[in-house]
Amino acid sequence: MKFNRRSFIKGAATSSAIAAASAIFPGISFADWTKQEGASGMITWKKAPCRFCGTGCGVLIGVSGDRAVAVKGDPNCSVNKGLCCVKGYHSVQALYGKDRLTKAQVRRNGAMVEVPIKEALDIIAARMKETIARHGKDAVAMYGSGQWTIPDGYVASKLFKGCLGTNNLEANARLCMASAVTGFMTSFGLDEPMGCYEDIDHANVFVTWGNNMAEMHPVLFSRMLANRKRRNNVEIIDLATRTTRTSQAADKAILFRPQTDLAVANAICYEIIHNKWVNQDFLNNHVSFHKGKTNIGYGTEDHFAFTDTEEAISFADYQKFLEDYTPEKVEKISGVSARDIKYLASLYGDPTKKVTSFWCMGMNQHTRGTWIQNLVYNIHLLTGKISTPGNSPFSLTGQPSACGTVREVGTLTHALPHGVVTNDHDREMAAKIWEVPVSNIDPKPTYHTVEMFRALDRGDIKFMWIQVTNPMVTMPNLNRYRNGVLKDDRFIVVSEVYPTPTTDIADVILPAAMWVEQEGMFGNSERRTQHFARIVPPPGEAMSDTWQLIEVARRLGFEKQFPWSEDEHIGKIWEEYRRFHEGPKHNMAPYTVLLERPGVMWPFVDGKETRWRFNPKHDPACTNGKDFDFYGKKDNKAWIWARPYEPAAEAPDAEYNFWLNTGRVIEHFHTGSMTRRIPILHQAMPSSYVELNPEDAADLGVVNGEMVKIISRRGAVTMPASINGRGVPPRGMVFVPFFDDSYLINEVTLDAFCPISKQPDYKKCAVRLEKA
Amino acid sequence: MMTKAADKIGTGTLYLAALCLLGVGPAMAAPDIPPDFDAGGEKIYQSYNATPPDYMAADSGNRNLMGFYELRQYPGSPPRIPHAVAQSFSDQPDNCLSCHAKGGYNAELDSFVPVTPHPENELCYQCHVPQRRQELLVETNWQSIKPPPLGRSFLAGAPPPIPHSLQLRDNCMACHTGAGAVTELRVEHAARGNCRQCHVPVISTEPRLEYVRTP
Ligand code: SF4
Repeated sequence: MKFNRRSFIKGAATSSAIAAASAIFPGISFADWTKQEGASGMITWKKAPCRFCGTGCGVLIGVSGDRAVAVKGDPNCSVNKGLCCVKGYHSVQALYGKDRLTKAQVRRNGAMVEVPIKEALDIIAARMKETIARHGKDAVAMYGSGQWTIPDGYVASKLFKGCLGTNNLEANARLCMASAVTGFMTSFGLDEPMGCYEDIDHANVFVTWGNNMAEMHPVLFSRMLANRKRRNNVEIIDLATRTTRTSQAADKAILFRPQTDLAVANAICYEIIHNKWVNQDFLNNHVSFHKGKTNIGYGTEDHFAFTDTEEAISFADYQKFLEDYTPEKVEKISGVSARDIKYLASLYGDPTKKVTSFWCMGMNQHTRGTWIQNLVYNIHLLTGKISTPGNSPFSLTGQPSACGTVREVGTLTHALPHGVVTNDHDREMAAKIWEVPVSNIDPKPTYHTVEMFRALDRGDIKFMWIQVTNPMVTMPNLNRYRNGVLKDDRFIVVSEVYPTPTTDIADVILPAAMWVEQEGMFGNSERRTQHFARIVPPPGEAMSDTWQLIEVARRLGFEKQFPWSEDEHIGKIWEEYRRFHEGPKHNMAPYTVLLERPGVMWPFVDGKETRWRFNPKHDPACTNGKDFDFYGKKDNKAWIWARPYEPAAEAPDAEYNFWLNTGRVIEHFHTGSMTRRIPILHQAMPSSYVELNPEDAADLGVVNGEMVKIISRRGAVTMPASINGRGVPPRGMVFVPFFDDSYLINEVTLDAFCPISKQPDYKKCAVRLEKA
Repeated sequence: MMTKAADKIGTGTLYLAALCLLGVGPAMAAPDIPPDFDAGGEKIYQSYNATPPDYMAADSGNRNLMGFYELRQYPGSPPRIPHAVAQSFSDQPDNCLSCHAKGGYNAELDSFVPVTPHPENELCYQCHVPQRRQELLVETNWQSIKPPPLGRSFLAGAPPPIPHSLQLRDNCMACHTGAGAVTELRVEHAARGNCRQCHVPVISTEPRLEYVRTP
């Protein structure tokens, strides 16, 4: 049995309590930090994107000697204009937790022993060779991250898809952005938002669709608040399943029953047509109508497969389809009053108002995630409120480089840096740039993330290398996948910066350089590529994920494809990668430009960033001579989709009578492996909890802080109750933040996913509660 | 939920009208000049106008520099919230700003309230968080530089430069005057108002640039 880290954490917590108590005792220390000995007291400031969320704030990192000692917001970065959030301001402290991994470890006779990193890399390469020889190339897999730098993801793709010839390459962004991608692809034929954050300075109405921006994208949210204060013609509508900080700050908060956003969006479209608020000119010129399959399933069974089929329909067909979604009918489904639906429609429909819709995990982590994206685009397309300043359907990202590394580099099983593996032309382009025979690149995708872990459990995959992510906390229906990785002949390599439940199950741990301990780039939500230099040295033998991959690739015999020197490799990789995106639709800025600016938006054409795509006033790729050019689709149109409301995979019933919703809090990023090591963030939000509606808590007989057992068909977790705390769920729902690995809430969640995007739904499953 | 948009526009207009009557309305910058030009220089004057002379001159001795740095992780970091805040999710701007916009005496905490230099940022919890536990999860090797020394004039008797960046700390009045100010950081002559007449920013933690003539 692999060893258990819990006891270690307990021990560490006790000793740190003593240290912390002495540190705050007045008289012992003048300030709440250890003073650098022998430092000049001078700070030099170096630019970087923030390590944490997909907002992608520019930060300036204060360096003294070889340590990062302070942070301020970069006033030159248009994302945040000098402001950060509490995570960003304290981000550099994440480098300095006492338990940083600084040496490689390998499992010998059940125990982890330290070895020189070169030896660990030898072991990994040998194991990969042996696994491929015995079980075939599709028995090895790589699971990466939206926190990978762009070079990390690029070399992983080149090694796995180009050299080894397996499409077993996935990234955790499958769990966070896949529906956003399929939404863009089905509606527009090209991924990523048409607008940019500047939309915030122009919009009159903001609708947050299941998106607690006040906590998850705080810098963008405060920009909205500042605009509302300054301009007097701005309102914020929060449309959510639970009452949050965003609801509190909003002018109006509307609650809908989980999953019924599908019906609400259709009802808004019904009202817009019914009241003749349609922008007819826009519709005639730029929109076509389509439908796909219905009753598409939930993917809870192994080997689930689904392919949508598209069928063109007429506007009249679409209108007929919407008759099921009158405000009155949808009031019954969603719990949103017909009056509120009409109000929302009137905001979208008012030709004098510019409307921006924001969403993130509420719409992405959804078993009909692709559909709900399509439906919100429908609203913006019916009214023509798109691709102009302030009129913006805006899909936000959660991770700093979900866009940059996963979506743009294409580190998913079906994708390539440009296009998809199933397309001959795209494979040829990749083979040419990578200098590999085109036959190397397998035209058939293998496993998406959930299915990849199922394959590992079944034994179809024997070897998995995990970088910059913590799946032993984040996989839904976690018990099954943990049991899978622990099976005897599975071999797991984990590249990490701190011990986590994922390093607990590793056979080899590689100590990784983190963030500004290496050179790299991230790409944020608004198509902005952000370069950072190696600002401080990594500790011990820690090595960047890019360089780990290069070292292993060379050991596997691919020196030719990975020829770069350590000094120059990032610039060289960037220039090679950039070739995939040449042309006005996706051109990326040259390396030298990235070095100088706090981020550059693509398409970067003739030295200019493109702020609003598909709009010829801003986008040089538009060529049709009209006021918009939706050049992503072959018919040069944006597509409206008739997508029905279908229920969630698992809904509360007599036995399991509560919804379980999971998510984040402002203080912590994802599984907390970094932010929980930042003193102020841990002290502010030390442990997780289950939010209950006060009435439900009274029925259950629990008060704040008492323990509640949350039980689903898959697992159970017992944790303290929070009543009228950070957020308040409606009756019949509980909410649990997932940052705290002492309460593994994903042992309870369900691994159902959107059949089109294959992204799991972490927001909806059925549980029952017991007072513990 | 806050007020309906319609109500808000109503009160906003009234408020603006009142301000104009009193002659202290926000100066109207020309259309393409951002409201925060010159590092928010206008704020000093507005704040100066709005602060009664008696309050400006008051010193309570409530706060000292040690306490000031105990709330911070490095010089310039956003301080944590040192007092209890409602357990309920309380992000209405009024909750923090009802005290920290203007200052004054708080009977519950028996102390004078520090004034925020950036009340235009309403999402207070974006940067400031309370402490609910003192223990750390794991010990840290975090270090930062020593806090910069105070009162460093370049010449004896000359006014000391502003040692910190003006980013988010552009309103001198907020932190350097009044009963809520840190004793060591208070100035005695706030009534003069035009602070940056004598004090210019020379960031003490950044390398100093010497003038070198390039002919
Ligand atoms: S909003 Fe996101 S990117 Fe900006 S400082 Fe906070 S965590 Fe970092």
